[in-house]
Amino acid sequence: MLFAEAIDVAIIGKGLMIGLGFIGPAIGIGLIGASYMQAVGRNPEASKFLGQAMIFVSFVELFGLLAFASIFIVN
Amino acid sequence: MNLVSLFAAESSGPIVHVAPGGVLEIGGITITNSILYGWFTSILLITLFIWVARVITVKPKGGVVQFVEIAVNFITNLVESAFDNVKIGRKYLPFFVTIFFIIVLNNWLGLMPFVGNGFTSGENPLLRPFTGDLNATLAMGVCTMIFVYAVSIKESGGLVPYFKHFFAGSPKNPIYLVSALLEMFTDLTRVLSLSLRLFLNVAIGEIIIGVFAYLGSSIAPLTALPFVMFEIFVGALQAYIFTILATMYLAIAVNHSGDHNDEDDLTADVPAETIELTAGSAHGRA
Repeated sequence: MLFAEAIDVAIIGKGLMIGLGFIGPAIGIGLIGASYMQAVGRNPEASKFLGQAMIFVSFVELFGLLAFASIFIVN
Repeated sequence: MNLVSLFAAESSGPIVHVAPGGVLEIGGITITNSILYGWFTSILLITLFIWVARVITVKPKGGVVQFVEIAVNFITNLVESAFDNVKIGRKYLPFFVTIFFIIVLNNWLGLMPFVGNGFTSGENPLLRPFTGDLNATLAMGVCTMIFVYAVSIKESGGLVPYFKHFFAGSPKNPIYLVSALLEMFTDLTRVLSLSLRLFLNVAIGEIIIGVFAYLGSSIAPLTALPFVMFEIFVGALQAYIFTILATMYLAIAVNHSGDHNDEDDLTADVPAETIELTAGSAHGRA
């Protein structure tokens, strides 16, 4: 009881939601960027695939945004 | 700045409007602020394109016309290269160019400073970015996917050949049946993924701009500026991604239906005698 009165649990929940929800997409975008740079390093002609890399970034990013959007559900 | 009040002095944080608010009523139907701004953008887009079509010349003159031409060219090349048959790509090109320009114009005009709490009608802001409303992006996604389904059914020549594409083999084989059903389900989730991606990118960008404008208090334009610049980039990127994904969904269905035996056959340009000779000798040895 004391604990619940002293700390707003919803805020902790929101913080955890954003923090944990962003870990996955951050790793994913990092991997996409790393693979893209590796491909360009091996074969500089592969730099024309930046647009396709961006498409995959947007696929991954959607899950982070879903995590961000769900903090508005928590009260 | 936009979805969030800039001068939220009394409250403990920035005011966030995730849902659109009604601003006026016509015949019992509530007109929300986002559809109002969407109409404004559509009229602007139609006017711009009619004007560009009138003044465009073969020899480039520069100015706004040049930018429109570059963007149209970019999408044209994108769509045409996605299809095996350039003729089919060119036939459905206007839809993709239109959807690209609608999204990019709505994203960029949504960043204008007068959008949001600048003008209010009652307690709701008068204007709101059209793509920052889930109803709008859902409508776009549904329209796009209905178009894609209709065209793929038409191009593959009827419902039965269209559904045949989902099956890798005979439907009596349970593995092919299950994989085809999964494929169909994935197809249906495309509406949601298209619309949610656009809505969340735009709406959350607006919220982030608002949060940083709130944190900056008296120097709000300075703290929000980097995020506004980022949102300009994201707005163009999301329009590109929406367009290319719609193109891909159509191209996958349409390209599958055409027979490309000529391309798949690696021995197409080898003389018949050579094939007979090599194949015959291989068979003979075996």
